[in-house]
This record gives sequence, C-alpha cells and structure tokens, in this order.
Amino acid sequence: MKTRYLRQLAVAAALTVGGAGVAAADCPVKVGVALPTSVDWGKPIAETALWVADMINEAGGVDGCPVETILRDTQVDAKVGVDAAKAMVDLDKVQLMMGAVSSGVTLPILTSVTVPAGVMQISCCSSSTRITGLAEEGSTKGLWFRTFATSNVQSAVLTKLAKDAGYGKVTVFYKNDDWGQDMASLLDNALKASGVEVAASIAITDNQPSYRAEVTEALGGNPDAVILALYPKEGIAVTREWISLGGTTKMVGANSLRSEEFRDAVGMQYLGDFIGADTSSPRTASASAFVEAYKAKFGGEPSGPGLPNSFDAAAISLLAYHAAGKDATGAEIAAKVPMVTDPSGAPIDANVEGFKKAMALLSEGKPVSFQGGTGAVTFDANGDVSAPAVSWVFTESGIDEKQYIPLEEVNAFIQSLNER
Amino acid sequence: MIGVISYLAFFGTVAAILAIAVLGLNLQWGNTGLFNGGVAAFFGAGAYGAMMLGGPADPQQLGGFALPYPIAFAGGIGLAALVAWAVGLLTLRLRHDYLAIATFGVAVALEAVARNAEWLTGGAKGMRGFPRPFEGLFADQFTYNLAFLGFVVIILIAVYAGLERLVRSPYGRVLRAIREDEVAARALGKNATRLRLEAFVLGSAIIGVAGVLYVSFYAFISPQDMAPILTFQIWAMLIVGGAGNNRGAVLGAFLIWGAWTSSGFLLSKFAPTAVQIYTGPIQYIMIGLVIVGMLLWRPQGLLPERIERTKTGNEAPGEKASQG
Repeated sequence: MKTRYLRQLAVAAALTVGGAGVAAADCPVKVGVALPTSVDWGKPIAETALWVADMINEAGGVDGCPVETILRDTQVDAKVGVDAAKAMVDLDKVQLMMGAVSSGVTLPILTSVTVPAGVMQISCCSSSTRITGLAEEGSTKGLWFRTFATSNVQSAVLTKLAKDAGYGKVTVFYKNDDWGQDMASLLDNALKASGVEVAASIAITDNQPSYRAEVTEALGGNPDAVILALYPKEGIAVTREWISLGGTTKMVGANSLRSEEFRDAVGMQYLGDFIGADTSSPRTASASAFVEAYKAKFGGEPSGPGLPNSFDAAAISLLAYHAAGKDATGAEIAAKVPMVTDPSGAPIDANVEGFKKAMALLSEGKPVSFQGGTGAVTFDANGDVSAPAVSWVFTESGIDEKQYIPLEEVNAFIQSLNER
Repeated sequence: MIGVISYLAFFGTVAAILAIAVLGLNLQWGNTGLFNGGVAAFFGAGAYGAMMLGGPADPQQLGGFALPYPIAFAGGIGLAALVAWAVGLLTLRLRHDYLAIATFGVAVALEAVARNAEWLTGGAKGMRGFPRPFEGLFADQFTYNLAFLGFVVIILIAVYAGLERLVRSPYGRVLRAIREDEVAARALGKNATRLRLEAFVLGSAIIGVAGVLYVSFYAFISPQDMAPILTFQIWAMLIVGGAGNNRGAVLGAFLIWGAWTSSGFLLSKFAPTAVQIYTGPIQYIMIGLVIVGMLLWRPQGLLPERIERTKTGNEAPGEKASQG
C-alpha cells in the first residue's frame, strides 16, 4: 500500500516537473534564490536581490540572456531550505544559488546541495565562522562566497577602536546567538592579541525582564570600558542597568546599535563617550548611490539588516555569470568572481549604466572593480569579504561619522593580530 | 530525468526519516495515549548523540570521538532513550494536556541547552562534518544518495514491521487498554505506570533513530533543527495520516512533507512575478489550510485506526472497524 502511494507521488511529481525540465534550455538563465521570505526582515533582503536581477535584465541580461530568478522560502528551517535548494539545483538546473540568511540553513545547503552538485553559492548574510573553517579545509571547492563581513572583521574593528581609545581592560557583553557567540570568542582573541585585558565576557539572552545578575558580574571586573555586541532591544536594557548601577559610560558598540532608538532610550547624557563601529558604510560614491537608488525604488531608507550585502551578492554573482557566459557551470562562474572585484579594474557604479559598462568590459575580457552598497569588496581565498570601516558617535541631532578606516588599514590591522 | 530522480530520492529520504519519527509518536499517542509535545527534543538527542560519538574532533568542544558508525548510531538512540526515561519518570504522572505542556517545556529547555552549552554542542553554530556512512563505497553522489534512500527505507520498513508486531501482540493490547481506561487496566493487574514509561521510552528511541538518520544525511546539526516547528510537523503528519494506524503515520509523513515542499515549488513555478515575494507567507497559509481542513472533515485521519478482534467473542464496545 505504501509503495502504491509512493508511486503515485512519484508520478505526480514527475508530471509536474517534467514540462519545466524540458523548458530549461539555455535561455533564460535560471538563478536560484533561497531566502526566508516569510520572516519580516527576510522579505526586503529578497526584494533587493530580485531588484538587482531586474536591473541586470535592463542592462541586457547575463550574456544576452534574461535572468529568471526562482525565489524559494527557507522558513528559517534547515529541512525546508535544503529541500528548496535541492529542487532548484536538480529540477531547474541552476548553476548559481543565492542564500541563505541563517548559517544553520546556509551550511547544510552548502554541504549537501551546492558543493556536491558544483553549483556556486553566495550569501548576503551568513556570518558563521564554521563556514570559514569549512572553506579552509577545502570542502567548499571555491564555490562559496559571502558579502557579509564576517564576525572576524567586525570584532577586529571593535578591538581597534577600543585600543585606539586607550582602554587597557574591557568587559564584553554579547548577544547569545550564533553571531554573538562568534563575536565573543573572536573579540577575546583579538583583544588579547592587541594587548587589551578582557575582564569578563558575558552572554546576554533575549527577552529577559532584568539583566541585573549579568551587570553585577561585569561590575565586579572593574573594567575601563565595555564592548557591546548586542542588538538595540537587549542593548537598551543592559546599558540602562549598567549605568544605573554605576558602570562606566565608556562604551564601544557594534554596528547593530547604530540606531536612534538606542540613543533615545539610553539618553544622550550617558552616551558622550560612546564610540560605535560599522563595517558597511564606506565613503564611496557607490555606497551613497546605492542608498539613493534604493530610496527611489522602494520609497524608504535601506534600514533593515543585510540590504546592501544582498545587493552586492546578487550584483557580483550575476556579473561573474555574465563574464563566464550563459552556459557556464558553477565553478566557471566562481572563477570569474575575482575579475568582477579586481581592485585594479575599471570602477563600476551600482546602477543600470554601471552594469552595462561592466558587461561590455567583462565581455572583452577586461577586469572591473564593482563598487556596491558595501563598497569595493574583495573576497579572500575562503570566500570571505573584508570591508572598510567607520567609527561613529551619537550626537544631539543624530548619528555622526567620526573616522573613516579604509579597507587597507582594516586589513593591515587584522594582519597584525594574526601575526602575534 | 536524472535531475528528477535525484530530487525524488532526496525527497524520499527526508520523508522516510520523518516517517520514522511519526511512527515513534504513533506508538506514544496513537497506541498509548501519551501526548508528547517534545518530539523535537528526542529527535535532537538522537542527532546530537550520534554527532558527538561519530563526528570529527573539534578542539573547541567535548565530543567528536570519530567512533564507527554503528556505535554512533546506537549511541544516538541510547541518548534519546535516556532523555526520555528521565523525562518520563518526572512527567508521566501527568495526564494529557499537562503532559503535553511539560514535554514541550522540556524540548524548549533542551534546545536552550544545545544553543548555549558551547563546550558540549558547539552552541548556536551547531556541529558539522559527520562522516556519512558507507560514502567511500560509491563512486558518485547520485548513486550514494540512491543507496542512502534504500538504507533509510530498510530501517523504516524494519521499524514499521516491528511496531506492527508489537501493537498486535498482547503488549499492544495492554497499551491500548491503558489509553482507553487506565483504571480498568489497573484493575486487571496491569502495571500502568511502568507500561506508560516503557512506551514513552520506546517511542522516543524510535524518534531518536530518525534524528540519527537526519544527522547522517545532512552531516550537520544545529539548535535550529530542534525548533518547536519540528514537533508541529510530526504531529500534523500523524493527525492527517491517522493516529493509531502505522500505515497512516507513514502515509501522513509523505503527504504532509510533500505538501510542505511542493507548495513552495508550485508557487515558485506558477505564481506571477508580482506576488513572488509573498510566496513564503502564502505557503504557510496553504499548509495551515490543509491541516485545518483535515481536522474539520476527517479528524480520524486518512487511514483511521482499525481495531482487530483477535479472538471471537464480544465486539469491542464503542469501536467501529472502518476501512482505510
């Protein structure tokens, strides 16, 4: 009986996909997008990726072929995300997969679907260092890229700011999720390597009514300053309790705290010594061009997480696809990525005209330097990006940038940490 | 065509793994009447147990003993059974809804442990690199995936056959007696407390088998795989398929997982581009409608329980034999 149902299921599925399989001839070029569209912050990330595909089509398409994006929801469930990716790779024969957001979904897609099938995968938003480890041991076969500056870069910039401010002993508060746990261990290494003592490293779990125990523990270490790797919601709660119990106002915060909500809720009188770090706001014409274009398209600021990263992931991978040709395999597309992000290449703006120019140059076999929403990114051997950084401060009127740290300086600092 | 076969083999593997978990829940709920709201905990215990014993060494945490697959397999099942035994001792005195809440709480607590005990479970990053069994024997990924499907189906058949024997045996009749009227079962001299615990541990161990197979297939486990949505998925499969009927449990697993994934596939194929961005929420609505519809129009499931009369005599009161 079971076999009968199985057979019926198989026949039904084969009928459904049969027609689609035949239509998958060379044009249009199919591209898989596996993102959590059913989650509130996931939808704008997907919209941004689809928007880039539209712009690429407007600029002439990949190697003369229009791009057809296949968008599937991952539901932030590894089973669902892997199934969606598997269907796109096996049934639609995509050679390029964009996604996912959560590392817990991205990693199984990478190891069970895209790498075994030789499909290139690029993520806007996964930060886990587990994937760097995977790439280091060669398990990603050079098919993996991400445009999200890893926790490694973020922690290095925070360390640099703390060191430059002259703090000798710090306490770290970190969000208790995969990003925060990563940040905590990386900060620990980076701070120690640069000669800053870590008094304590304290996990902050979401939605607690009070953080008195955590804050009291931190006070015991008597640090010069605190580093906050938190999101605004729990960041506000922790900072308020910290200051009300007599903690220092010398604070260094991650880019996630760059919000007016945080400033207003904590109070400007306590934020005079606060320094923030950010990796995704480079002072390039293209970054502001991205913001302008986004506002024109969606009628609002690109304020959600991962939007410039999603833009760049889609743009870089599609330009590489163009350079590799419409019949390229995943490995061939991946091999062309350095050609799109070549610092010595012609600078390319993140708009339709820029894409047209880039495609013309790439077709002639000339490298270009794509200047996207996160600046002129380059990938290292593990597919990770480095990015320029800024420090910022809260002011009465808003949030001001204080210092711009170019990409070269960030890389040099990370290098110096590794050497010690 | 290779692509279609490859995808169907993949789909079949995941559905068969889930079907094993549904069979485990069916022993607990369908046959013994134990409302296990913490399916994800035992699934996770099986997966993490196997990963810790059979996975590669990681300097940052305990575990990764790289033991042979059979030991990892047995260890995963053992951990799931051990957790179930401890949970069962504490909570099985509770009835229906209270038991559901208690086991749900245990599952959330265990997920929190997996997320936070970085030295033990790798924390939110999860654990990766489980050596996939017998992978060296196959030349390419495609044949390996077909072979793995065969392996999972053999285990599914073994579990199914074993449970069929069990529920038809006198032991199975006692479990159903406890489900229907525990006082009456006690009056006949049956040790209901011990039998409930045994059924709970055995069912959870079977759910643990599914967890072990899951980690063998994906070679990765993270706290995300233990989210409450998994418990919901397994329950939906059992209710739609038919609680108390092992065939129904397997059918429900394939149907619900098929609906779950094919709804996304069909939407991505046929939805106009303008609504493409909303297909995620639409998919959830479609899945919800299927389950609500089933509960309204066929609450006994597609293949309802069949009570077989093993001896001639009086007809079981209140039970109606119906054909699936």
